Amino acid sequence: MEILQLENITKSFFQKIAVDDISLSLKEGEIFGLLGPNGAGKTTLIRIINRIVTPEKGTVRFRGNLMVGKDLAQIGYLPEERGLYKTMTVYDQAMFLGRLRRMSKSDVNTSLNFWLDKFEIGSWKNKRIEELSKGMAQKVQFICAVLHQPSLLILDEPFSGFDPVNVELIQNELIAMRREGKTIMLSSHNMKSVEEICDRVALIHQSKKILDGKVSEIREQRKDGRYAIRFKGNMLGFANALWAGFELIDHEEYGNGKHTAFVKLRGENSFQDLLKVLIGQIEIEAAWEVLPSMQQIFIDLVKTTV
Amino acid sequence: MSISWLVAHRELLERIKTRSFISMAIVGPLLVLLITYVLFVLGGNDKARWKVLIADPANIMDTKMLANNSGTITYDFADDYIQLKDFETGKRYQKYDVLLEVNEKILINKSAYLFYREKPNFSVSMTLQFHLERRLEEVLVERFTKMTVQEYRKIKQPISVGFRNIYDPKNESTTMGSWVGFFFGAVILFFILLFGMTILRSVSSEKSNRIVEVLLASVKPRQLMFGKIAGIGLAAIIQLVLWVVIVAFGLYVMRETLFPDIMDASKWDVAKMANEMKNLTFQQHLTRSSGYNSFVELIYERIQFDNMLFYFLLFLVAGYIFYGTFFAALGATSGSENDGQQFIIPIVLLLLIAAYAGYYSLSNPESSLTFVFSLMPFTSPMVCMVKLAQGYNPGEGYQLFVSFGILVISSLLTLRIAGRLYTNGILQFGHRLRLAQFVKWLRNG
Repeated sequence: MEILQLENITKSFFQKIAVDDISLSLKEGEIFGLLGPNGAGKTTLIRIINRIVTPEKGTVRFRGNLMVGKDLAQIGYLPEERGLYKTMTVYDQAMFLGRLRRMSKSDVNTSLNFWLDKFEIGSWKNKRIEELSKGMAQKVQFICAVLHQPSLLILDEPFSGFDPVNVELIQNELIAMRREGKTIMLSSHNMKSVEEICDRVALIHQSKKILDGKVSEIREQRKDGRYAIRFKGNMLGFANALWAGFELIDHEEYGNGKHTAFVKLRGENSFQDLLKVLIGQIEIEAAWEVLPSMQQIFIDLVKTTV
Repeated sequence: MSISWLVAHRELLERIKTRSFISMAIVGPLLVLLITYVLFVLGGNDKARWKVLIADPANIMDTKMLANNSGTITYDFADDYIQLKDFETGKRYQKYDVLLEVNEKILINKSAYLFYREKPNFSVSMTLQFHLERRLEEVLVERFTKMTVQEYRKIKQPISVGFRNIYDPKNESTTMGSWVGFFFGAVILFFILLFGMTILRSVSSEKSNRIVEVLLASVKPRQLMFGKIAGIGLAAIIQLVLWVVIVAFGLYVMRETLFPDIMDASKWDVAKMANEMKNLTFQQHLTRSSGYNSFVELIYERIQFDNMLFYFLLFLVAGYIFYGTFFAALGATSGSENDGQQFIIPIVLLLLIAAYAGYYSLSNPESSLTFVFSLMPFTSPMVCMVKLAQGYNPGEGYQLFVSFGILVISSLLTLRIAGRLYTNGILQFGHRLRLAQFVKWLRNG
């Protein structure tokens, strides 16, 4: 079941097109990555979903119906440029933002305590934001975005500014929320995170959508016959074993005669043919197909569509 | 609870918790009280001798008046009517400071008029009134009763004396009262500027710390703007109520302690006072604080505080919304907290024009320019306060409601225009604010 459908969304600001005829859909219980270089139109698209900006053309549907104001109560939003009231306490802040999301006071209390306990930061409850470090404030921002237990959580660059420990913490929370059937849409430049947690992605470039699909399928579609062989032996022996049907494109040396070599297949040659050539020449420890990273796909696509 | 009210509630709490709000709520009114006290003490007319001519064509007073042994006040009697113009300019009347008009009706309506060249201070006014009352008591007792004066004094009604400037016998330019209106108007402008700047800072800081985008996911820009204006406005009203309560309490305490209740004739022990008069102690008592002056009288007797406060509140609220929307729009359209400072100047200029309009209407209450100022929403909160204090001419009272109506309609209009600027500007960051942008954002509905 699709929780969100964008159909032919177009938005321009004073003759400059920010979003050009973009259609997308998000299924319930998936993590969806919205990718694109800076200025591609991701934030405008997210603002349109949050009804902060009105599109000139196109429709937004929530659970099959045209989206209305009250649907926002089921959406959580953590913008890229996020902030908090510096002089307010964590409790007051959460109470205010929770009440704006139409939560009752007792629900805010219960939910806030749950999240503070989960992140083991209960002692911050009555601290003012200006007393917290940047990382601490980011956790509070995340809590404020999920306080009302939204069905759809939209995160614009959620990992920017977080240290690796907190990135993992947030990632784990997002995965846990997916398990509970929540849908998450995130825009990020952190391709490693996108690869790790996103089920599907869409790539936006110069205001247009240029790619979308499952992460695994996109990587599969864009593979170019590269394989990695980890072996023990002589690198020269490895190179000599290869003949014209294979191209050695890179290698890494680990010491003690251990290497990983990256080979590209040419013509009709298969992985089986490669293994046949190498067996007997070197001591193979592992061999696998190398899929292009999302980072590589992202860079390639952006460069080719300039 | 409505979304706008939640925003307003947060703003209100944030304002009233600040130290500056609390200190302003206490120091401000104390300062007003201090200034009032200084004016009480220093503002008296210290003219030493008063020569009073009593025009008594019916010879009611029988050329007698209570003696004033200190010589501060001396009385002469005239047994015919004296035209005010004659008294004002006539050579033979120039030696008199005051004309007290006593006609035959005084025995029925207990009312007399006193025309002065220079306004007597409070103690002299009280003494004049006291002398007239005592003498009239004797006349009334002699003519109409078989009682003694002491018996009569137990059942008597107070007499009313209207004090009038001989150069303005119809009391057309009650300058002192007008200044009170000016003061009320100035307080409105002061609060508009003070809390308008608070709106500007609040919007700018929400923009610069980026909380605004989180808010906009739950609140419409117009709701956010209105909530902010309302919340800060409520803080202003609370501040004002504290001012009124503290100033009123201070005035009450001053009246009860520094200026004891001689103003309340019902509390006078007349027999004792008459006795004291002979020993001059009453006069000493009257002038004990040496501060009874026209300002004291103005504060305690002349200002209709309930009426003034009611309209003051109406014009404050409407004026605040009118100007507040400009400040909100400016905060929303600026690129950074320091951007847009130059655009405050036109708003402050408008407030200065309003202050000037108030000053102009003080001395030109009947001018057509004053009438125009009273209708213009930029200036009406100030000018209407002055006009209200001066008193509208009979049949012209509707002008106050017209002015208020125009102000309310203008406020709704600016709320709409500012809402458009706010919506278009609130998510624009890092630019330098230019006039062209205003126009562009205004067009983009």
